[in-house]
Amino acid sequence: MDYTDMLIQVATSFFGTLGFGFLFNIRGWKLAFAALGGMLSWGLFLALGFFVDSEPLRYFIVAVCSTVYSEILARALKTPASTFSIISLIPLVPGGALYDATTMALARDTEFLNSFIHTVELSVALSLGIVIVTAVSKHIFKPIHRG
Amino acid sequence: MKGNETYPMLSSILEILKMLTESGAEIYRVEESAVRIFEAYGAKNVDVYATTSNIIVSLEVEDNVIKTHTRRVCKISSDIEMIHRLNGLIRKITTETPDLETIKAEIGAIKNTPKYPDIVNILFYGVIAGAFYFFFGGRDWIEFLLSTCIGLVTGVLSKVTTDLNVNKFFVKFLCSVSACMLTFTLLKSGVIMHDKFIITANIMTLIPGIGLTNSLRDLFVGDSISGVLRFIEAALLAVAIASGYIVTTIIFGGAA
Repeated sequence: MDYTDMLIQVATSFFGTLGFGFLFNIRGWKLAFAALGGMLSWGLFLALGFFVDSEPLRYFIVAVCSTVYSEILARALKTPASTFSIISLIPLVPGGALYDATTMALARDTEFLNSFIHTVELSVALSLGIVIVTAVSKHIFKPIHRG
Repeated sequence: MKGNETYPMLSSILEILKMLTESGAEIYRVEESAVRIFEAYGAKNVDVYATTSNIIVSLEVEDNVIKTHTRRVCKISSDIEMIHRLNGLIRKITTETPDLETIKAEIGAIKNTPKYPDIVNILFYGVIAGAFYFFFGGRDWIEFLLSTCIGLVTGVLSKVTTDLNVNKFFVKFLCSVSACMLTFTLLKSGVIMHDKFIITANIMTLIPGIGLTNSLRDLFVGDSISGVLRFIEAALLAVAIASGYIVTTIIFGGAA
């Protein structure tokens, strides 16, 4: 992948995530920050490609950074963190990998199992990143207190 | 909070919790908000149990006086602006403990939270489909325009079927079938060269993003039952989308 492709991907990930912002009824500055988050996530994913070979590991790192971004913005703008975390991880949804797996399965290509496992790996890495940061930040900022 | 005024208050707070759940908030947020609100009003024991379809609150207001109230939640959408405003109201209630009339007025105001008009939403289905066409590696301007148009069709179909109260799994299935059929027709008639980019871009408009992310947050930070319920729902929606693609491919005689 050359630099033009990377630039195109970063630019289009902004518009793609902006679209989801409208569908989920995000308004005002929150919308701009959410779409920016989507763009930064994908930019970071591409930049990490120069240092890290493992795609799941890159997904994990991006998920961690993007969730930290969401948690910080959530506190600054006094809004739930999910406003930003849902939107900004949309470019990382492994839609392409899942499509490949389904197409191979339909063509009776036994390679589809590898492709499917790859999709699962990516999803697990993404989830792990979100979960770890959410759990930690909840512990730091809002200890659960029940009567 | 004493005696007779408890029930109207309980009912109003549950209305807030119901609206919060319906807008797609995490269940742990709903439960925690309830506990914080009732503790702010001085209830002794607060027991809250919420799932994606039901909210139960039980309070001990004075010694041996226990009040319980339940709300059924029917429909869940994703309205982040509504969650934002409800969250603000809950923060206000816990810090200022306003009276019932103020709370009712605030709830009325939040019910009128502005939404983007349908035409804007449909337009952005097109924008998403177009943007992700390039994102996934397509580089043809005609295919880009067609991808955007298919996105618009998906948007209209999704809007119409949702308004007709069609089952949400079937809505996703129908949208997926229509997008794939349009793409395969264009491919077979030789208008486009590749189907992969257009199909993946259009499937992106359908993904159950909010359900999946919130299910994870619920699963690991809050209540595992709600998390599992949400996760299964999101997984079934994904299966519905994939089935649409599979069925269409089979109709058109194998992967093209």
